Amino acid sequence: MAFSGALTLTDLNDFITPSQACIKPVEQTNKPQEVENRGDASTEIRIDSAGSYYEVSSGASSSRKLEVAQISLNDCLACSGCITSAESVLITMQSHEEVMGVLSANPPKEKEGHRVPVISISPQSLASFAANVSSSSATGPSVTLRQMLSRIRAFCTEELGFEHVYDTTFARHISLLEHVQEFRERKGASRLNEGAARLPMLASACPGWVCYAEKTHAEMLPFISRTKSPQQVMGTLVKSWLGHKWGKNPDEIYHVTVMPCYDKKLEASRSDFYNDVYSTRDVDCVITTSELELLMRERGWDLSLPVPSENMRPESHSCEFPELLGHPGSSSGSYLSSLVSEFSSSETELSTKTIRSSDYEEYTLTNKRTNEVVFRGARCYGFRNLQNVVRKVGRDAGVGTSRGAAGRLANVRAKRGAKAGGTDAVGSSSYDYVEVMACPSGCVNGGGQLKPPLGFASGVTSSESSTISDDNAARWGNKEWTKRVEQAYWHDLPTPPPSPTPTDTDQFPTTSISDGKTSHLLADKLAVQILSDLCEQQGIIYWSDTMGENGEGLRKKFFRTEYRAVESEVLGIQVKW
Amino acid sequence: MAASAYTLRQIADLPGHEDRAWNVAWNPTRPLLASCSADKTVRLYHYTAEGIFENVSSVSTGHAKTVRSVAWAPSGKTFATGSFDSNIAVWEQEAPFEDGDGGMDVDEGQEPRGEWECASLLEGHETECKCVAYSSTGTFLASCSRDKTVWIWEVKPDAEFECTSVLMTHSQDVKCVAWHPTEEILASGSYDEKIYLYVEDPMDDWYEFTTLTGHEGTVWSLAFSPCGNYLASSSDDLTIRLWQRVDKSRWELNTTLKGHDRSIYSVSWTKGADGSLGWLASAGGDGKINVWELRRNTDERKTSLEAALIASVGDAHGVCDVNSVSWCPREGFGNLLASVGDDAILRVWKIERLS
Repeated sequence: MAFSGALTLTDLNDFITPSQACIKPVEQTNKPQEVENRGDASTEIRIDSAGSYYEVSSGASSSRKLEVAQISLNDCLACSGCITSAESVLITMQSHEEVMGVLSANPPKEKEGHRVPVISISPQSLASFAANVSSSSATGPSVTLRQMLSRIRAFCTEELGFEHVYDTTFARHISLLEHVQEFRERKGASRLNEGAARLPMLASACPGWVCYAEKTHAEMLPFISRTKSPQQVMGTLVKSWLGHKWGKNPDEIYHVTVMPCYDKKLEASRSDFYNDVYSTRDVDCVITTSELELLMRERGWDLSLPVPSENMRPESHSCEFPELLGHPGSSSGSYLSSLVSEFSSSETELSTKTIRSSDYEEYTLTNKRTNEVVFRGARCYGFRNLQNVVRKVGRDAGVGTSRGAAGRLANVRAKRGAKAGGTDAVGSSSYDYVEVMACPSGCVNGGGQLKPPLGFASGVTSSESSTISDDNAARWGNKEWTKRVEQAYWHDLPTPPPSPTPTDTDQFPTTSISDGKTSHLLADKLAVQILSDLCEQQGIIYWSDTMGENGEGLRKKFFRTEYRAVESEVLGIQVKW
Repeated sequence: MAASAYTLRQIADLPGHEDRAWNVAWNPTRPLLASCSADKTVRLYHYTAEGIFENVSSVSTGHAKTVRSVAWAPSGKTFATGSFDSNIAVWEQEAPFEDGDGGMDVDEGQEPRGEWECASLLEGHETECKCVAYSSTGTFLASCSRDKTVWIWEVKPDAEFECTSVLMTHSQDVKCVAWHPTEEILASGSYDEKIYLYVEDPMDDWYEFTTLTGHEGTVWSLAFSPCGNYLASSSDDLTIRLWQRVDKSRWELNTTLKGHDRSIYSVSWTKGADGSLGWLASAGGDGKINVWELRRNTDERKTSLEAALIASVGDAHGVCDVNSVSWCPREGFGNLLASVGDDAILRVWKIERLS
């Protein structure tokens, strides 16, 4: 079975462990091999302890191992069997071996059928590599994300033959711009009481969360941001914008992304990101950080060694996009903080409140003069916090839960509300926005990240119960290690301010220009250029400019997406527990 | 062995459920006994000091499937139900008087008869919820499911709940959860034959601090001793194991009890006679209810407990399985044991010393 070697069950700590085995193999019908047995119905299927299926003929002592069905990630998206499925199925469509296969079969440049190989790397993956390399050389200086990008670029171009290597921070920049745009639309609509777009808006960059909501909390879907994730914006940039620049059709480009999370493979497989005309995806293949590391190991590439290009000025090599754009806020993408800064001004004051742990923080912007709440948001990571957000949003917005339940509850709620005289509503502490991520500590702790180096002291080890703590660390990731990755992430990006100050992340135009601001200004300019090109609209100055009907339609096509509830189709009898 | 020094005398026979009865729970503060069933109802019985039981309510839960588990909060004011429809519902009694200022201080024998209403619904389990349990202070509600997870909810004012942990430690269907009588320690037992004990890391999430292995079959039921130093577990392997707390976070197997010849579905531990470690009741597929008296070993060199089977009833529910047994926790009623079975009947037994 050709599936990614890096993908074994013990490796994974994506947020939800599937609670049942994949049911798809059972549905498979094997090709009838022994024709003479046709009509002889007395065979049975046995399952051994390893979960393999055998067909056993009666009377015969031999049994034939049945083939396991090939499961594509699309099957997973359509199935409500397990919640997050990327980890439990046999992924053949998206693995590092698949990448190598495509690259080696790729005809040379200028030849018929050549596809331009492009690889885009997430900053969280870079941070994982940087932390890994830095910790393995105890004496050496710590490696920056910029150095790491240079080294990976060298590997991907020299060893693997990629023609372009990007990081995904510029795509994230666009994602954040569109995110703010969408939030303003929703806020406007909610003032007018238009039902379709609602607040709070919930982040959509985490595919684990999106998948969970589609399968178990359909009532949350209207709240989830329609803006594409950085990965999928990158897909649009590469296949549509760069492709056009290069004079290449989308199917003449092979686009690989490197992500901290297995569920990003699911995201890339969504039908929304499939181009019917050219039969190609915006992102052809997603590999995780650890799968890229595996590729390096197989090629004997040592990431701890500097490459000549890494000490050159970043401007010295030509790249279509600004590189390693910092977005202060969170290492998972700064979605909340981009909105906080959008609504911050000299008149507002930001207060934060930690609920239970750093994985759940509330941010409230208040007008200093009037004490009026301008914006209220939360950053909420990990499965248990996600449960509370689902409950809170459902309660505040008064939306029913998706699953059949004690039907009397609704009555009681109504009665209770009537009795209480609406005390619930007083203070109206409902959120405007929630940055939801399924993994504890967010994307730096994604299931596809590198494991801590051997011998890295587990942060939770106590002398009393060391074996248990080890188990615990294996399950939830190593806290100390996650901290290191977080540090590496911010190493040569702006350090996350404890509370983002308006001056720090102000919108342009601005008079004082720092280095970071210059690159943000350049990024904004290029983003508007791209918007103008893709949406066929001249004279746009700001990302938020309203375009004509055609332009806005294209904006939706290129920068937004849709979600669908997945109805349960699982028959109890098929489920193997 | 002081075998048969006691006897279990049936004092009530309470039919009413229309399908098999799964679980039975005594209200810790009021004379109320609750049972739940595959018929999706919870039946509530009031009882007097004379041992007269009267059905006062049949709550149609609205659960779409079997109500598998019922548990009272320590306050006695609310109970939780866990259902095969994967949900947990929390029930509160409507104020008994219309003007609302009467309060609940009703004399014994005058139980408030307000309707029981679903005050909260806890979703999250993907499949059948198998067991629910409140912590000793009522701060937490734990649940477990066939989806292999154990959830811990924090009980908030106004029937609100906050999820504080989702534990994915077990590799199979989790059958039971039980809280320590005085500390915030949670135990869970599973089809994977393991028992995990969890505590909260104040800086972080709950985590399993120890694993108890040894059972060679599904762990069906768990019960801490009233003193909190022991944990009883019952299993498909026809044994009851008694685990002793030997250190703050170390628990070791102390004694193994044998006395059933089918799966043991339920154990319940109560104070029992003075000077003992209490009485442990057990029941299961063989239709038998056993009561063991547990004492420290008279030989002080031995740490193993002395267990005496002091009473036993065969065919407690006719030919049917006994699904649950439970001792009454209320002062003065500690000799009452309730049982439910596949025959859909609730029975109450009194343990009495033979004269």
